[in-house]
Amino acid sequence: MPDPIKFTIDGQQLEAEPGQTILQAALDAGIYIPYLCYFPHMKPYGACRTCVVDTEAGGRKMTLASCTAMPMPDMVVETKNESVSDLRRGIIELLMSEHPHGCLTCHRIELCGPQDVCQRHVDVTDRCTICPKNERCELKDTVRSVELDLRTPLNYNRRDLPIHADDPFYDRDYNLCIVCARCVRVCDEIRGDNALTLVSRSGVSLVGTSHGTSLMESGCEFCGACIDVCPTGALVEREYKWEKASRQVTTTCTNCAVGCQMVAEVNQFDKIIRFRGDVNSEVNRGQACFKGKFGYDYVNHRSRLKRAYFRKGGILTNATTDEAFTAAAEALSKYQPHEVAIIASPRGSNEDNFIAQKFARAAIRTNNVDHAHNFIGDVTQHISDRWDTEHTKRPIWDIENANSVLVVSGNPTEDQNVLAVPVKRAAKRGAKIVVIDQRETELTRYADVWLRPRIGTAHMAVMGVARAVFDTTLEQGDYIRERTSNAEEFKAALWDYDLGRIAAYCEVEIDEFAQTAAALASHREMAVLLGADTVPQSRHDALVDAVMNLRLLNGTADGSGQGVYPLFFGANARGSEQIGCAPLTADSSLAARLSEAWNTELPSEQPLGVQEMFNGMRDGKIKAAIVMADGINPNARQFGDLGEALGSLETLIVSSVFDNEITAKADIVFPAAPFSEQTSTFTNIESRVQLVRNTSESRFDEIAGWQVFCGLAKKMGKSGFDYESSSEIFDAISATIPDYHGLSHEALRDGGTITHTHTDVADTKSDFEINKPDFSQFSSDGYYFAPGRILHQPERENTLGERNYLNFIDRVEWIELHPDDFEPLGISEGDTVAVRDVRGDLVAQGVATVSDHALRGIIQTTTLFAELATYMEECEYPDPSPTVPGLDVRQVTVEVVAKARERELVAV
Amino acid sequence: MVSRTEAPVDTYAVAMSQQTQYAMLRARARQSWNRLVEGDKPWVRVGLGASGQAAGAEQVFDALKPYGPDGTQQINLSMVGAHGLMYLEPVVDIVVPGANRVFHANVTPEMVSDIIAHYVDGRDDHPMHDSGYAYSGHADSYTSHLLKWDRLPANQMQRKILTANFGNIDPLDIFQYIAQDGYAALNKAVLSMEPEEVLEEVKTSGLRGRGGAAFPTGLKWSFLAPSKVPVKYVLCNCEEGDPGAFNDKGILESDPHRLIEGLIINGYATNSTHGVVFIRQGHEIPIDATRRAIEEAYENGILGENILGSDFSFDMEVSLTGDSYVAGEETAMMEAIEGKRSTPRYKPPFPAQAGLFQKPTNINNVKTIAYVPGIVATSGDDFKQVGTESSSGTALVCLTGHIKRPGMYEVEMGMTIRQVLEDIGGGPSDGSERIKVLQTGGPLGGVLGEEAFDTEIDFDAMAEAGAILGSGGIIVGDESTDIVDLIRNLVAFNQFESCGKCFPCRLGNTHMLDVLDRMCKNEAKPGDMKLLETVGNNMKIGSLCGHGQLGYNPISSAINYFEDEFQKRFNGELEKSGPFGDGSMILPSRTRP
Repeated sequence: MPDPIKFTIDGQQLEAEPGQTILQAALDAGIYIPYLCYFPHMKPYGACRTCVVDTEAGGRKMTLASCTAMPMPDMVVETKNESVSDLRRGIIELLMSEHPHGCLTCHRIELCGPQDVCQRHVDVTDRCTICPKNERCELKDTVRSVELDLRTPLNYNRRDLPIHADDPFYDRDYNLCIVCARCVRVCDEIRGDNALTLVSRSGVSLVGTSHGTSLMESGCEFCGACIDVCPTGALVEREYKWEKASRQVTTTCTNCAVGCQMVAEVNQFDKIIRFRGDVNSEVNRGQACFKGKFGYDYVNHRSRLKRAYFRKGGILTNATTDEAFTAAAEALSKYQPHEVAIIASPRGSNEDNFIAQKFARAAIRTNNVDHAHNFIGDVTQHISDRWDTEHTKRPIWDIENANSVLVVSGNPTEDQNVLAVPVKRAAKRGAKIVVIDQRETELTRYADVWLRPRIGTAHMAVMGVARAVFDTTLEQGDYIRERTSNAEEFKAALWDYDLGRIAAYCEVEIDEFAQTAAALASHREMAVLLGADTVPQSRHDALVDAVMNLRLLNGTADGSGQGVYPLFFGANARGSEQIGCAPLTADSSLAARLSEAWNTELPSEQPLGVQEMFNGMRDGKIKAAIVMADGINPNARQFGDLGEALGSLETLIVSSVFDNEITAKADIVFPAAPFSEQTSTFTNIESRVQLVRNTSESRFDEIAGWQVFCGLAKKMGKSGFDYESSSEIFDAISATIPDYHGLSHEALRDGGTITHTHTDVADTKSDFEINKPDFSQFSSDGYYFAPGRILHQPERENTLGERNYLNFIDRVEWIELHPDDFEPLGISEGDTVAVRDVRGDLVAQGVATVSDHALRGIIQTTTLFAELATYMEECEYPDPSPTVPGLDVRQVTVEVVAKARERELVAV
Repeated sequence: MVSRTEAPVDTYAVAMSQQTQYAMLRARARQSWNRLVEGDKPWVRVGLGASGQAAGAEQVFDALKPYGPDGTQQINLSMVGAHGLMYLEPVVDIVVPGANRVFHANVTPEMVSDIIAHYVDGRDDHPMHDSGYAYSGHADSYTSHLLKWDRLPANQMQRKILTANFGNIDPLDIFQYIAQDGYAALNKAVLSMEPEEVLEEVKTSGLRGRGGAAFPTGLKWSFLAPSKVPVKYVLCNCEEGDPGAFNDKGILESDPHRLIEGLIINGYATNSTHGVVFIRQGHEIPIDATRRAIEEAYENGILGENILGSDFSFDMEVSLTGDSYVAGEETAMMEAIEGKRSTPRYKPPFPAQAGLFQKPTNINNVKTIAYVPGIVATSGDDFKQVGTESSSGTALVCLTGHIKRPGMYEVEMGMTIRQVLEDIGGGPSDGSERIKVLQTGGPLGGVLGEEAFDTEIDFDAMAEAGAILGSGGIIVGDESTDIVDLIRNLVAFNQFESCGKCFPCRLGNTHMLDVLDRMCKNEAKPGDMKLLETVGNNMKIGSLCGHGQLGYNPISSAINYFEDEFQKRFNGELEKSGPFGDGSMILPSRTRP
């Protein structure tokens, strides 16, 4: 580490880290230099010139922009002398000549309200008081720091541009833009999307969308990063646009498993009015996504459940919470333990879900407990069983430094959005990206190799790559010798993996294995984003084995950029698994610990996972269930027909924030307190435990998940549920679960922390898992539908429609088929076809198109990401984020709606 | 091996015996050159540079074609670049082997039949004395009646280093360049000199950058030479968007191989691997010529792997900018080559540390690079003999505006501006009385008044006079020139061409234009002069790149020489200015496609 650089700012001695600019060093030391275009985590830009300072080093005097200039040893920097102040004022004065500034130069600025009569005759449109960012405007603070004169000789030039208010989520008013290009840079540098760009030049240079059209077509992922960096009112969230925050609370987003740290702005009525990424967070570095940034508003919704109710003679009746507890305890007492199922919420905190499983195992004494979105729990379980969970505990932003990234069967851009950001950044830096997926996703656009094995064969495809690594001698020999004990056996076993046969089995070109091997193996540092969206449950373990073997071959197991990132769905899926709210066999170490802590025998029956529990309801084996419905996607493909399953129950107890399909079948309903009304902990993909801080208290009878179970347990006369607060429960967790040892709510207040069972990487167990090749056919009669979704599709023409004053993409989708599939399906090119799933529901409709890259037996279509923004805006659920439609691969049938010729007639 | 018998000298055999690639190329070049100048047919050359084309040279060339190699084969026909004496375009240069060499000026297609009648059919009843100029080396009964081409002041006072081949060789034929000893310097450098020696010669020569900043070229190269990375770039800048400047384009359209040779030597001296010639989109003739020249160089082993049999390898290509003046700023140019919006980067890091694609990079102007072959072929000391103490070499002056003989003239540094204007340029154009103002160095350069005309053409002397030599463009204005209106036009250009990145330049230019516009409409407000000064000075200190930093130059230099006119404008004592007499102007945005 090079020495820090010592220099002086305004007479104060400072030390700058090497690589720091003068501005960064000054800000770190608490010295304010006005700036506008600079923003943390982004490269310096040097455009606004308001950060100019006078410098003297080695006898040379210079006036420099401090955001781009590096300090030199013994440099003397002056930030406030007269010449620099004049220059700065001159530049800001120029800037003010095209920004409405009626109030900025007025001494009454702190006193005026929007309705006040202005005695200076400033046009209403030029007043700060009508700007949505008034009182939280960065420009205002900067301008006022230089103390402008009331009058300026410069002509004021208002741009008079129309406001763009027809795209989802946010308004763009370029009359207020100062062209600092922060939004353009964040979209390019951080997000890699380039949806925004600078247009035109000279005095009329301005920010615009990449193709001069709506954000819907320009490749925008509606992450809101541009809004969060905008120093003016040019970009603002449309919801609560003019609301003022009275305080800020940093909390954790509970919409996906990334666990972004968000700053919730809360108004005087305790409403959350804005959500923005926390720049200082190690998880998301200020980033957010469309679900996180714009999906918080359900907590303010007036249709939230306020009181408990139960069904009396088929009619729902309001009840006090106590009445509901009594009724529920009574109902539950009628069933055998194995007839009861407990399904915890994907948004359930560690505390909620710990108590949920304790209630199940210790109070009801059933092993039927799981969290609702436990779709890939077996994947991480398998890694920790066979290898070590430490493989999956790497910081997200390490991916940025990876030399190659393998994305297996997942769509992080939509499902774990911020996780995709470092992947794209790595790709931009030159890292090789390999995607194994049948669907076209945003990351396939970044992929150097996009491997598309037939459904159910991904594990063999990865083993094929491993074989190709050996064939091309790209394996890391030294590493393998040093760290693994069974390399020779594995090598011998690989002889059974004949590439020709694998290629035929997976239906990929044989060359692709070598290409993938070259892309991945020639770089040691390989990050793996491991999902199983398109992998049948029965093949999960085989896939994990193959991927872990490949990692070992490439010599990746420890160090930066070398982690496995399991693509969890539920916001607290990882935590739920760690604290035992997941299928748990009696012989596991966790079961032993729980048993010891609770001083009771755990039920020994075979545990059921969430899907098995739903199946059990349909079979009649499960007769009663408690479902924590907050955040459950009722349309999740894995659940099948959720209404049918829940409808066959005798007793259904639900805790929910809203009325929905689940409460419709319920007998007893508790109003749930959403994340904003509880203090609890969530554990994210990296296994980082973070605090959710409440932004307000519950106003009615809403209770958190743990309170539901504790209340029930008490009514049932069970002991061990006398918890007073969630922090008390967390203490119980940290005492019981080794990963959480030493943690407490108090300790987490300073920021989340990744839990490690051990930190010495040399201890990380690393051996090859040797399997025989599995060429068994996965039942794949008929056609599979592989929907794709990407941000930007310049090769296709889009038309925009308008609905409720909002743009949406209005186009006929292409249903892409392999040329050979047309005849058997009885369709010809240009026909309008409908794609229906096995239940007969329409999943897609469009024009049948021959595609070069369509696979045989797979029907695919690629839509635009913008449809999700439209979905979020138009969704009838008050809480749309969990229900955002995913890209589900499923078996389908195709029928012709209109033949090619008829279609034209229909169109006429 | 020396042949023992007295066989006729076979140049190919000699080349083979010398075993150098260059000797073979040169032998082939001399042979084809001699076939042209010593053959049995007249060799007719037509100047088809942009200046020639503008004057109708293409039509003349087309009219000559039926007699050429593709027609009746009565003449050898070549296209050449610009001669520089643009008032004489189109120029047809006729060499009759063994007889005379005559230039015909202002030729029209109708005159072609006369030319053929005279030079091919030998009829002397069409002497065409009006348009003919003889080359002074030959004298016969016909040419002795003609004015001597090289005795014209516009030719005689030139010192041709860069322009030596202009009008003499076909820019699209590498062998014509080699026949004039082209690529000999490269051959010398890569085969018999170390890179450090080449660099030393350039340093000794005192060559300074011709792009505007006049930075010592050798010093600039020496920043790049030491860094040891696998890929380094040398870039050549032919953005040349200044109104009234056309010498970079002139070199590329008339003698592109000189630049290519210079750039390869630049690459050799700095251990670089890639060269990029950056040309503004729309300069079609130079673009085509350079692309063709690079192609030819590759075909003949002058570019690519192991240049001329040495162990030095170098690649080169042409890159085009969009329609942007700021793209000529060196860091903006690198952004443009990378395919981004051409806006300047902040410095440091300087290009020699992290330039194109973040690799070490040098950027030089076309003229700077084009001097290099000459320096290497002779020596740095020889080059230093030319010009003044601080500014060695020549200046390529582009003379336009109210001047009798507009054109591109290469003069030795140290000549006074007055000599250029009066002796070469012939004084004010017909109908004008006197030269009132000069606009030099492009729109950011500034203006000079009459009292500065005795300034020597020299980087430092010009800077002292309040203008920059810059690209070498001199726009001449006569007594009718409205200074404030002229300045308004310059500022309008600068405003229109600002990239819009840094605030002082984006907004400052707009406001300065605003004030000048008011003045031209006789609507000046109190404090306007002060406002110009404040905004201008803030731009000077506060701007990111030269475009903003120099943006106040036109105004400050004009106030320096013509303060009274500003005063009169300010007081409203003059008529409203502008082409329509109402104070309005034609904005640059409307003059652009």
